[in-house]
Amino acid sequence: MDYKDYYAVLGVEKDATQDEIKRAFRKLARKYHPDINKEEDAEKKFKEISEANEVLSDPEKRAAYDQLGTGYSPGQDFRPPPDWDAGFEFSGGGPGVSGAEQAAFSDFFEELFGRAQRAQQAEFHAKGQDHHAKVLIDIVDAYKGAKRTIELKLPKVTADGHLITETRTLNVSIPKGVHAGQHIRLKGQGAPGSGKGDPGDLYMEIAFNSHPFYHVDGRDLYLNLPIAPWEAALGGKVKAPTPEGVVDVTIPENSAQGTKLRLKGRGIPGKQKGDLYIVLQISLPLADSEKAKNAYREMADELDFNPRAKLDV
Amino acid sequence: MAKKETSDALGDLVTDKLELNLEDLCMSCAITQTEITTYVEEGIIKVEGEEPAQWRFSRVNLMEVRRAQRLTRDLGLNPAGVALALDLMIEIEDLKCRLAHLEKDGTLHI
Repeated sequence: MDYKDYYAVLGVEKDATQDEIKRAFRKLARKYHPDINKEEDAEKKFKEISEANEVLSDPEKRAAYDQLGTGYSPGQDFRPPPDWDAGFEFSGGGPGVSGAEQAAFSDFFEELFGRAQRAQQAEFHAKGQDHHAKVLIDIVDAYKGAKRTIELKLPKVTADGHLITETRTLNVSIPKGVHAGQHIRLKGQGAPGSGKGDPGDLYMEIAFNSHPFYHVDGRDLYLNLPIAPWEAALGGKVKAPTPEGVVDVTIPENSAQGTKLRLKGRGIPGKQKGDLYIVLQISLPLADSEKAKNAYREMADELDFNPRAKLDV
Repeated sequence: MAKKETSDALGDLVTDKLELNLEDLCMSCAITQTEITTYVEEGIIKVEGEEPAQWRFSRVNLMEVRRAQRLTRDLGLNPAGVALALDLMIEIEDLKCRLAHLEKDGTLHI
């Protein structure tokens, strides 16, 4: 088990006041709160600061933690000395995080404060905590539905009072028509209830893996479609990929760069189907041969064209 | 010590179907009716109907209430602060989405 330097985690001095600790936690929480910061490592970071705050914001726990001494460095292998907490009573609870959330804290926390928390939890019957997870799917999966295997680590107290981690593997069917930010609910797959309470639910938030050429906005799908200058100028039919297969798209004559063509109902499927927007990107051929250079020179000679007319030059 | 088990689960899409009344919502979130009323007044959750007894909530609302509770607890915000944070988050999300779209072109054209 690794020693945790909770003061370093919150970036405060060992003699910081309770107010300074609170402010330091709030400041870091604003930055790393998983409801605010969607980066992947934000949640891990937030758990670390929550754990540090859980100990340091509670004068009893903080006093006990300080008692361990200062001779350890972070990450160092650590065993609490016998009877390290003699003389401390953990009243626990309070307005802090719930037992189920604490279960996600480190082994270090569990070893020091776990017992007191469990003893205090045993009494009532309540529905278990809901769990949250994020699941990444491909944009194409939203058109077809998907299966994902997720692993859940659930802490569980055995009949003889030991804490074990139960790993549960779930094969989850994700219905088609989901879009980013939506949640999927798995009833009864959250934390076990206390006493006779029902287990909580597991909520999975859907997010899309980024795709090399599709881009999603709500239920609408965007595709940047490169076209040649003559296709833009003369119009015509070109092929475009969609998650449902290749389609023919008619380019109108004299299409400008960035023109949006809408294919109605070809976005994310569902009751309210999204649309597919094709955004035209005019791609210039390189003048990398004498032939290509001549073609450009011919255009320059033949066409009376000033692209900077609007700039008055 | 670890134990392994595997099972299949069919996911239900969390929809905006109005299936909970005020009492259900309060029970699921361990929150008082007064607090929910404040959330409604601040626009943190949107409801139809004047009287709390007529209010109906969806599971999307339920997730919104839980998120508001987390922000209240972890950041020490009051309901107005939560409402502001949520509005700004929606705006940032929207801007990020538009930016990602523009960056894909390689050019910014307006």
